[in-house]
Amino acid sequence: MSSEVFSLESQDGNAVGQSWKRTNSESKVMGTFRYTADLPVPKCLYLGVHRANQPHARIDGIETESAMAIPGVVKVITGADLYDALGENLFTGPAFSDQPPVAWQRVRYVGEPVAVVLAEDLATARAAADEIYVEYEFITPVLDVNAALEGTDYVHDELRPSAVFPDLRHLMGKRDTNVNYEYNLIRGDSETAHQEAPVTVSGEFWTPPTSHVAIENFSASAWVEENRLELVSTTQTPSYVRQAIATMLNLRLNQVRVRTLGLGGSFGSKMYDRLEPLVAAIAWTQKLPVRLELTREEAFVLTTRHGVAVSSRMSADANGNIVAATADVRYDTGAYADIGPRIAAKSGMVACGPYRIENAKIKSRCIYTNKPSAGPFRGFGVPQVTWSHESLVDDLARDLGEDPARFRRRNLLREGDVSPVGTVMHSADFIGCLDAVTEAIGWTDPLEKIEGSWKWGRGVAVGIKAVLTPTVSNAVLQLNQDASATLLISTVDMGQGSDTIMAQIVADVLFLGPDRVRVINPDTDVTPYDTITAGSRSTYHTGNAVKKAAETMRDRLIEIAAKQMGVSASDCKLAPGGVISSSSQRLISLEDLILSQFGAAGTTMTAEANFTTEWVPYDRTTGQSTKITEHWFAGAAAAELGVDTRTGRIRIRHLAVAGDVGRAINPALVNQQLLGGAIMGMGHALFDEIVFDQGQIVNGTLLDYQLPSIKDMPEKLTPIIVENPHRTGPFGAKGVGETGLIPIAPAIANAVRDAIGIRITTLPLTPEKVLSALANQGNK
Amino acid sequence: MNLTLNINGTVHSVYCAEGDLLLDVLRRLGFTSVREGCGVGACGSCTVLVDGHSVSSCLTLASRCSGTEIRTSEGLGKDNPVVRAFVDEGALQCGYCIPGFVMMATELLSENPHPNEKEIADHLEGNICRCGTYREIVKAVLLASSSASN
Repeated sequence: MSSEVFSLESQDGNAVGQSWKRTNSESKVMGTFRYTADLPVPKCLYLGVHRANQPHARIDGIETESAMAIPGVVKVITGADLYDALGENLFTGPAFSDQPPVAWQRVRYVGEPVAVVLAEDLATARAAADEIYVEYEFITPVLDVNAALEGTDYVHDELRPSAVFPDLRHLMGKRDTNVNYEYNLIRGDSETAHQEAPVTVSGEFWTPPTSHVAIENFSASAWVEENRLELVSTTQTPSYVRQAIATMLNLRLNQVRVRTLGLGGSFGSKMYDRLEPLVAAIAWTQKLPVRLELTREEAFVLTTRHGVAVSSRMSADANGNIVAATADVRYDTGAYADIGPRIAAKSGMVACGPYRIENAKIKSRCIYTNKPSAGPFRGFGVPQVTWSHESLVDDLARDLGEDPARFRRRNLLREGDVSPVGTVMHSADFIGCLDAVTEAIGWTDPLEKIEGSWKWGRGVAVGIKAVLTPTVSNAVLQLNQDASATLLISTVDMGQGSDTIMAQIVADVLFLGPDRVRVINPDTDVTPYDTITAGSRSTYHTGNAVKKAAETMRDRLIEIAAKQMGVSASDCKLAPGGVISSSSQRLISLEDLILSQFGAAGTTMTAEANFTTEWVPYDRTTGQSTKITEHWFAGAAAAELGVDTRTGRIRIRHLAVAGDVGRAINPALVNQQLLGGAIMGMGHALFDEIVFDQGQIVNGTLLDYQLPSIKDMPEKLTPIIVENPHRTGPFGAKGVGETGLIPIAPAIANAVRDAIGIRITTLPLTPEKVLSALANQGNK
Repeated sequence: MNLTLNINGTVHSVYCAEGDLLLDVLRRLGFTSVREGCGVGACGSCTVLVDGHSVSSCLTLASRCSGTEIRTSEGLGKDNPVVRAFVDEGALQCGYCIPGFVMMATELLSENPHPNEKEIADHLEGNICRCGTYREIVKAVLLASSSASN
């Protein structure tokens, strides 16, 4: 049975491997497609949020009278009001229960909600929020990771890990620290190996915080119906939100309903606790229907990518083998932990890269500061450590006088190797990806390196990421009598194309053509539990659940057909048009089969399946695990670019990106994920950056915050699908949502080093930074 | 104030405040292809055509559009060559920003029926697709350009 469940080949339903048009393409292009904010909800009061203008302060008083005096204002709610109603349950978070939806007694970042106006319309709510005045008592803020580690000022008095996770319990109540989590990886003896190695390189690396800027902004509505809470929200984690809200309000799971439609992008921003605790707490305690829509400026302070500092070293022997790697990784997680502790661990474990390294020592810490809370962002912390290891590996190769691609090729992990974290590698073709991108850009072709003020170079980088493990996915498949199907899953299609992929999997198993499978949007009253839509996990995990449900359905159809035809089930198989008996060559259509089984038109058959992954938790001292993850993502990027030495401007002539996706269910969509990730990564490499001044974001509007536009595109972009089937993937498939982003920034920086001979260790590579590096070079 | 707006060829009578933005009025009327991405005219998601010219409806007062012809992407219809080209080239991912690109492309092709890639990029520069679908969008505009002339 298990070999059937995990059969790698398409079952000839002619859907898997085809570039089906994205579901709802036409309505999305015409603009008639409904996003979450378009879902009809009861008439709501609008919320306007008054936000802290201090990075760290005690709240001494909140003056709300002038706001209340404005016509249309119904109420003003403070953190104290909510704390009185909900007590300690007010504090939520996916790893630590440390964040109140509205500040209680103390504010910890500029932009934190302090009071919320309920008004009859949006404009009034926002205007009234501006009229609120808060009396603060200043507390010394902690503004960067080094101050957080070295100083004696603390963002929180004590750590509050969520009681749900046994591996965090030992941190409960810990005081006098800003470090909420520390992951350590120890393998071999890195110190001795560094000392004995003939070549060692080191660096101080920095990747700044960035903003996701999904063009669809955040919105959420909540109201009470009977004794239940209804929630419509832009979330990529509906199952998580239902649990979090049920816990906060002390409700049963079936008293909380969370719905979301397709999202207009997310990239990790719309997950875990965003607007939902705030609207749910107010709706439930006030018994009022409320709606919150953020402005873009508010979205900038809601969640960010982690700024990360890495101090790292890498050594090689005389034969060009990497023998030791050390990294001290500091994640600036802002005022609330969010999922930062998990990011510190999941990224720390790959901080020395996808290489055969016998001696490794990594310390990866998640650190509180008085800044907006950082959370998941496409890549889950991995692009920031990749920035470090791919810069170092490049320097090692150059110091040894070796081609950086060939140096990587010798050291990269291969099938069956044990990775530095202690897990055996499978279906992660780094070498295939590396070869593909270098070949694409003509790595060994001659290059005119100097043209006037322009200097040209080439760079390459690889990336590795572990898929989130353990997780749970479920699928419920309903086959309708007319041979159409309805698929119930809680995966959120936010542009990655899951609605299309899942439909293709069902269609392939059951021989249904395009447009016959409808995927239902997440509704926790209807669609079954799914851990999260994130971490590139859906194609593999939900895809496996969907495939198993479809296969169960197929087996039942065959059983029924065999009975109807009076033959054995083993004589029958599903084929285009229905079930066919091999001995009699008789074919029964699915329509006739279901009609005669139930004796009525319009009847349905239902099959369901669960797919759950397991891991071996890592050792708390060494970080080692024999199964740290269900599978790995492998990717590579190569760039050919020019640097204008007069202006510092970088022009990318060719950017190639490759990802090992196991098997591409829909090649067109896989290419879009690879390129979309690459373009986002290019922004991170060249200009994307949240700039802070004393804890205050100073470029938090789209007038000031630069995003890649059509004019920033490289002259040539090449996506490459590498297929190294995974033994337990649906048809061999794995995900691809993050693979394209991870190696981009170091590939570009390595090309810059090739062009101008300078290693820049802080992102982004702005013209100012390049120019000043050139000036420093000239002064030496 | 009472306002008469001609949207996609149909006249709508709406009541709105003097300072109401075209974006909000269009959304209240159900034209949800018009979307606020930034509120400052920097992302292009709220782009509509007013008398054939692209405007950011988040920066446009509804009251100034009385007596004009407003077009949103809903009004193009599914057989419109630009709509067809975007669908056929797969020029979308999440799709949220796409109607804005479709309206910019419509404006471009009315002014310049056969743009080259650089002219397309010049014209669409003000629109942001965070999913990074730019390559397919350029191809779609080229396809629309050639299919319209056939």
